[in-house]
Amino acid sequence: MKWGMVIDLKRCVGCYGCQLSCKAEHGTPRGVFFARVLKQEEGQYPTVSQTFLPVLCNHCEDPPCVDACPTGASFVWEDDGTVDIDHDLCVGCRTCMLACPYSNRYFNDNEQAYYGDQGQTPYEAARTSQHQEGVVMKCNFCRDRRQEGKEPACVANCPTVARHFGDLDDPTSNVSRLIKERAGFVLHPDKGTKPNVYYLPA
Amino acid sequence: MTSARYDQLINDLKSEYRPQREWAEGRGAFLIYGHFLVGVAAGGWLLSRYFGSFDGMVLSYLLACLGGLAHLVNLARPERALNMMLRYKTSWVSRGFWGLTFFMIGGLLYFLSRSEFGAPLGEGSRISAAGDILAIIGSLTMMCYMGFVYTASKGIPFWNSTLHPVLYIAYAIRGGIAVLVLTLALRGQELGGESGLLELWIGVTAVVIVLWVLEIQGAVSSGDETAKRSINDLLAGRLAVYFYGGTLLIGLVVPLVLTTGTIAPLSASILAVIGLASIIGDFFMKYSSIKAGVYLPVRLPHLHR
Repeated sequence: MKWGMVIDLKRCVGCYGCQLSCKAEHGTPRGVFFARVLKQEEGQYPTVSQTFLPVLCNHCEDPPCVDACPTGASFVWEDDGTVDIDHDLCVGCRTCMLACPYSNRYFNDNEQAYYGDQGQTPYEAARTSQHQEGVVMKCNFCRDRRQEGKEPACVANCPTVARHFGDLDDPTSNVSRLIKERAGFVLHPDKGTKPNVYYLPA
Repeated sequence: MTSARYDQLINDLKSEYRPQREWAEGRGAFLIYGHFLVGVAAGGWLLSRYFGSFDGMVLSYLLACLGGLAHLVNLARPERALNMMLRYKTSWVSRGFWGLTFFMIGGLLYFLSRSEFGAPLGEGSRISAAGDILAIIGSLTMMCYMGFVYTASKGIPFWNSTLHPVLYIAYAIRGGIAVLVLTLALRGQELGGESGLLELWIGVTAVVIVLWVLEIQGAVSSGDETAKRSINDLLAGRLAVYFYGGTLLIGLVVPLVLTTGTIAPLSASILAVIGLASIIGDFFMKYSSIKAGVYLPVRLPHLHR
């Protein structure tokens, strides 16, 4: 089995629902984004186009972050091919961040509070206490949710159904079918990382 | 994360070309210091060992100790540093950690068998020979691992070049010669022509210059806009002062002019200045090239826009 995601750029309206639902699901600290939406504008008035590009960890088959990690904290789950981090092993050297060609890893530094000098609100403290400080963090395709039989939060909460999640090893799965029928593509294919997040053209 | 750093991160994420700050600012700056110190120490040990300068070996060992400390300060969780020995099969950082460990242990064993330290392990013993070999293996690993760490960084196109390891090895050798020249000069010894040290320094410096030209040419002609941006930052942007002033002027021009002996005869003090300038230049080379790293932007392939 190989979990993968397909993001339909034609359906994405740039509502940031995926980014917010991810934040809500994981309670990620300030400065850590497992999912983001990039807004790209091109051309000059009056022929201007705007594209939304939702990004997250690509869970590459050949992940350079895993090879670069000196401790084995970054690893690939053999049962489903997702890339994850064992925070108990991470030394916070940040080598993996520089190895990732997609910039989808974030360092959870100390002193995280949304309201600066006021310190953490009780809500922030409750949500972020589950995360270790001084380690690198990233998306794990919502492993906890998947173990409960649910889809990742960004998929479940996308209001336009732009995100699809499934088994890329199964040729009959929705993701495999969409990639085949709509010419799904990956980001930076030249880097040879074989990403498992595909995009459908806008 | 303080408010200023958070704001900076958000601004970076919004920008087209995001400068890497992970190994350049805050505790990340200690990686620059660490790589500089460890590179000079590795080259210094090998050259001093070859030319039989015990003082040079002691200085190199001390520099490696400082470099190791700087590496530890760079880690956010230094208490877990031993975990870095686990992935030597794939990770150059892990290999570097092994190299530094070999060097520290080997160097210590070597010193403990030298008469200058009372030779508690006995001169010419098997432990002494083992320490010697271990230290040489360690210093060779230290010289090589740094460049490969950068080459493995696929997120930073400027570093992701096959020339980077060669450049770092050349700089380590050059730094080693400079350590040796500095040591001899501080001892008040003048270099005889037969030592060939200055000629070797000039030769390696020539190699370094060629490698820099190839590195810049490669980045500019690669068609990679991000690598070009890094070169622009280095030659005409935020790092130009450090590159021209530190790497080129202090690190290359000043020592090269002094080696000709036209300004002043090659006395011990002039040799000390040559060695020191070369070492300072090495620091600025690492400082500017590491800081010039810019993340590969994530954008849609042109066909799909």
